[in-house]
Amino acid sequence: MINRVTQQTVQRSTLANVQLNLSKMADLQGRMSGGKVITRPSDDPAGTAQAMSIRSAKRAAEQHARNAADGVAWLSTADSALTGAAAQLRRARDLTVQGANSGAQTPSSRAALATEIENIRDGLLDQANTTYLGRSVFAGTSDAAGAFTDGSAVPPYAWTGAPGATVERRTAPDTTIRADADGALAFGTGTDPLAPGGRSVFALLDQIAADLRSGAEVGPHLTEIDTRMEAMLGELAAVGSRYTQMTAAQSSIQGTVLDLTSQLSDVEDIDLAATIMELEMQEVAYKGALGATARVLQPTLMDFLR
Amino acid sequence: MSTFSGISTALSSLIAQRQALEVSGQNIANANTVGYTRQRADLTSVEALSAPSLFSTGNGVGNGTRVSGLTRMGDPFLDARLRATTSSSSFQTAQASALSRLESTITEPADTGVSAALQRFWAGWQDVANSPDKTAARKVLLGDAQALVSQVSGGYRAVETQWSQMRTEAETLVTKVNTAAEAIADLNEQIRSITVTGGSANELIDQRSVLVTELSGLVGASARERADGTLDVMVAGNALVRGVNAQQIRVDGATTMAGGIGEPPKPAADPVRLAWENSTAPLTLEGGEIASHIANLAPGGVLSGAVDTWNALAAKIAGKVNDIHQPAPPAGTPFFALAGGTPNALGLSVAITDPADIRAGDPANGGHDGSVADAISQLGTDPDGPDSLWRDFAVGLGVQTQAATQRATVLEAARSTAENLQLSQASVDLDEESVNMLAYQRAYEGAARVLTAIDEMLDQLINRTGVVGR
Repeated sequence: MINRVTQQTVQRSTLANVQLNLSKMADLQGRMSGGKVITRPSDDPAGTAQAMSIRSAKRAAEQHARNAADGVAWLSTADSALTGAAAQLRRARDLTVQGANSGAQTPSSRAALATEIENIRDGLLDQANTTYLGRSVFAGTSDAAGAFTDGSAVPPYAWTGAPGATVERRTAPDTTIRADADGALAFGTGTDPLAPGGRSVFALLDQIAADLRSGAEVGPHLTEIDTRMEAMLGELAAVGSRYTQMTAAQSSIQGTVLDLTSQLSDVEDIDLAATIMELEMQEVAYKGALGATARVLQPTLMDFLR
Repeated sequence: MSTFSGISTALSSLIAQRQALEVSGQNIANANTVGYTRQRADLTSVEALSAPSLFSTGNGVGNGTRVSGLTRMGDPFLDARLRATTSSSSFQTAQASALSRLESTITEPADTGVSAALQRFWAGWQDVANSPDKTAARKVLLGDAQALVSQVSGGYRAVETQWSQMRTEAETLVTKVNTAAEAIADLNEQIRSITVTGGSANELIDQRSVLVTELSGLVGASARERADGTLDVMVAGNALVRGVNAQQIRVDGATTMAGGIGEPPKPAADPVRLAWENSTAPLTLEGGEIASHIANLAPGGVLSGAVDTWNALAAKIAGKVNDIHQPAPPAGTPFFALAGGTPNALGLSVAITDPADIRAGDPANGGHDGSVADAISQLGTDPDGPDSLWRDFAVGLGVQTQAATQRATVLEAARSTAENLQLSQASVDLDEESVNMLAYQRAYEGAARVLTAIDEMLDQLINRTGVVGR
């Protein structure tokens, strides 16, 4: 069927065309100024699903980065405490060696050695009770005031943590890294030398100081000091390796966050160059439609009849 | 054959051409009137008198012309096509705009939506897991939980608002339908009385046609013309207008969403439906805007689907978190509470007010254990968790809206084509009318010339004949 064309149909179709062009312009303008391709799910349902997943993965990764930063702080606190403790223990060993040289010692010099060893014991106890943001880094999840009780407590030099109750930081959806150090392993616990892990380093130093004062031979304690030193260094190595693990996780998380950000931008954001080109083209089309409208709507037969 | 019959022939032409010119004038006057259908004066030649008589002197020449009628140049088939497409297009457009409005209430994907609130909530648990001893982290978590709860109830309320507005809109549209039906019945009456007296009711027919098309858009009406010039309007198989009588329709059912789709505290749904005012016949529309509204308001409709999701989301958040937070009642306290007697989305609340009551870990593993909080924070990646439920809903709604919008665009194109066809048949072409005007004007001039010629001939006969030698 060949349509009859009248002024009204021309008017309508030109109006519809101009409006279509203008709405495309407005759409592009909105996209340009908003900077987003997807502003509502129906713009691109598949893209929306992707964008939502990426957003939640990104939020989770950001949280993992916070966790890892916290873990790094914990581990570096534990690391420096253990390093300090090992140095002090080394000094205590030197003093013990001096004390064991019984021929060159007078009772007063032995007493001086004993006093210094007791000071070292106090220093070690301080290191063992190191805290990070109010939490003992050697006591696991325990909420006790310190990781170790002091010599006057009952029982003396007891570790307040619970075996296996470790502090973990989540660095990936299914990975956690231990953020604390095992105080019982590093410093030993209790006063009983015949216990399975031996006595605590504090009780040992107490014993040495007492022996120095009483004039007893302190040479035999050197082996025990070495055992404790070995345990402390072993724990220091473990903390160091976890520290490396934690910082590696941290940098990998940073990479992940960057990746996710750029993926999200790929899905959601406009391609600026393409959009500007599109806008230019649309503008040309719009101007064309306007020009055509002006030419079609104006003339009628009446202009030529007289 | 009278000597003067030529004069009356010319006169008939003068009258007919003038009338035809007036019709052109009417057409031009209404070139932009909505619904106006162009008219044409039908000119018929008047046949010669041929009375069978002995002394008949007829020479077989006709007796001029006359306007035998004014044809309304509409095409009922094109009108019917426009109405059918308008009915389906209006339905789909209303569907698309309802979905699009619902979609705008869920604000996804963005940093302000439910999924962002959920992610903040899970991250809050992770912070509590990291430092169970810090009241600050616990307070932040409670704040995030509160934000999540109000987001869920706000989402539910938004759907409820949309439902109420749609209900009011349906009421208004039904009033419009009843008014239009009354007007059509009135017009039917006028048209019938003009038609039986032989007059032309073209302009009234135009008005009636516009009203019927409006009804097609509202309730999917179709029309059937009767011999006496009246038009019956059929809706869902029954007559909304029959001759000069109009039926009324009304909206029945609950006026609140809780009643309309059977949310607590109302036990059973009292769905919104249409009914005839004076009849018990069922009224199920086949098209039009109102049909879309009724479908969306009904249980199982678009809005009730959204409400179900909000409720399921609330129940899932409460269920999943409480399962971990409170492993075996009455040990420990639940984190979320779901009040009975009200929809889950509105009944969801944070049961804990004291930050110390948040169960971050198992006390058996040390006072600063964060294992419970850590386990709860992992719900964010649970494939059966609230996040994936919400994501599925948002994406599903997006797909639905996109499909509805595309269908609406296609149907609108069909309607626009039908309208264009109808208009191309019915609308006034100024060029055509100019040509007609010119033709009538020339014919009028010709008739006047004929009159002059006959006048001169008669003058010759009357004034100059028989004066020889005077």
